[in-house]
Amino acid sequence: MSSEIPRIQRVISILWPSFLTSGLATILFFTLFDPVHLLAGTALAELSRLGAYSIGFFCFWGLTILTSGLTCYFSQPCDDNRRRTRGRQDDSLGSAL
Amino acid sequence: MNQTASTPNDREVENALYQKRKKIYPREVHGLFAPRCVLGVFVLLGLYYVIPWVSYEGHQAVLFDLPARKFHIFGLVFWPQDFFYLAMLLVIAALSLFFFTALAGRLWCGYACPQTVWTEAFLWMERKIEGDRPRQMKLDKAPMSLRKFRIKATKHAVWLAFAGWTGFTFVGFFTPIRELGVSLANLSLGPWETFWIIFYSFATYGNAGWLREQVCIYMCPYARFQSAMFDKDTLIISYDEARGEPRGSRKRSDDRAEKGLGDCIDCTLCVQVCPTGIDIRNGLQYQCIGCAACIDACNDVMDKMDYPRGLIRYTTQNRLEGKPVHVLRPRTLVYGLILLALLGGLVYAIATRVPVDLNIHP
Ligand code: SF4
Ligand code: SF4
Repeated sequence: MSSEIPRIQRVISILWPSFLTSGLATILFFTLFDPVHLLAGTALAELSRLGAYSIGFFCFWGLTILTSGLTCYFSQPCDDNRRRTRGRQDDSLGSAL
Repeated sequence: MNQTASTPNDREVENALYQKRKKIYPREVHGLFAPRCVLGVFVLLGLYYVIPWVSYEGHQAVLFDLPARKFHIFGLVFWPQDFFYLAMLLVIAALSLFFFTALAGRLWCGYACPQTVWTEAFLWMERKIEGDRPRQMKLDKAPMSLRKFRIKATKHAVWLAFAGWTGFTFVGFFTPIRELGVSLANLSLGPWETFWIIFYSFATYGNAGWLREQVCIYMCPYARFQSAMFDKDTLIISYDEARGEPRGSRKRSDDRAEKGLGDCIDCTLCVQVCPTGIDIRNGLQYQCIGCAACIDACNDVMDKMDYPRGLIRYTTQNRLEGKPVHVLRPRTLVYGLILLALLGGLVYAIATRVPVDLNIHP
């Protein structure tokens, strides 16, 4: 997990696996629960099913992006970080995000 | 790629790695495999764009009706509680992928993967608009001019139109496509339908127009775990090193034995046609999607040189090493048997399920 990995690969490795798992989560979740029943009586009762699916998907995706991003962030070599703060602080993961 | 950390010119190496990827301009090929590939593209794209329009007994034949929470596949209707069938179908799909990969390598990638199919379609449009590989390269090098702008704008407009149609079709699998078409014509599309059409269109445009081989290299899980399904009897595309080396250029009239050369004339055509930009002569690489373009290109060269074809060919590691080849082997037998059992199970389950649900059918 260091500078050998092209930036595009890092960005993709956060966005893409999270996209896949959130898709899976969306399918499982909405197979079990019908949004019309879930939202009945709430402020979102007017929301169409398609809308609920979409919002659900993006909520899942946001969450999984956060997870993937944190995993990437924590998998940076720790020593490297210390050295970097003294030397140069360019291309740590932060800039890739 | 792994000497970055401690070398003195550390920074330089890193910069080089951060450079924008080199754009790959695949050269067009003609040959034995190319037509098959085109056929694949036509059949698959045809199916994708036509299926949503097919009607069956008065309703859309294949409709994963998300708003109504039921899936129609011809006469069958699936409800959320039938999720089990979907899961089983996915397991079967995964297993068939294992089976065919063990047998014949990356058949999937070269002929059936949506990424390849749409990229091929986009490449074809690019070629029609910008010309062949040398022209495309020249155009990209040239400074911006009215002509360049016009050509590029046309290309992107055509790409976007095609992508838009793709997005529309995609959403048409999930909401009734005829109604969707009517609301599109009246400009009365629902907000979520509009959103997903645009989302999917841009995904198509980005993946097939811009990312291309990078999808295979960075995003495809299959590319990474395929080696687990390969063995020495798997059909792969391979360069015959024993025959080709030492490579070197020569005149057609030269006697290669006299010059001490192998069959490869080092024309690099195989590299130029490769959509992922690799050199198959370096051995099997996970970036190779098995499209067989290099086979066609090299066979052409061999014909021109009056050498036998097949310097690059479909073969297996065992055959290259002169050992016997086994098509039937424990791996394929096990995959095949499980596959058959699951398929049988699924068909049985669906067949015995039908009468119950037909009663609920409105
Ligand atoms: S196309 Fe054939 S002859 Fe030309 S470089 Fe490739 S392997 Fe060698
Ligand atoms: S090496 Fe040959 S088969 Fe593999 S992707 Fe390149 S052109 Fe296709």
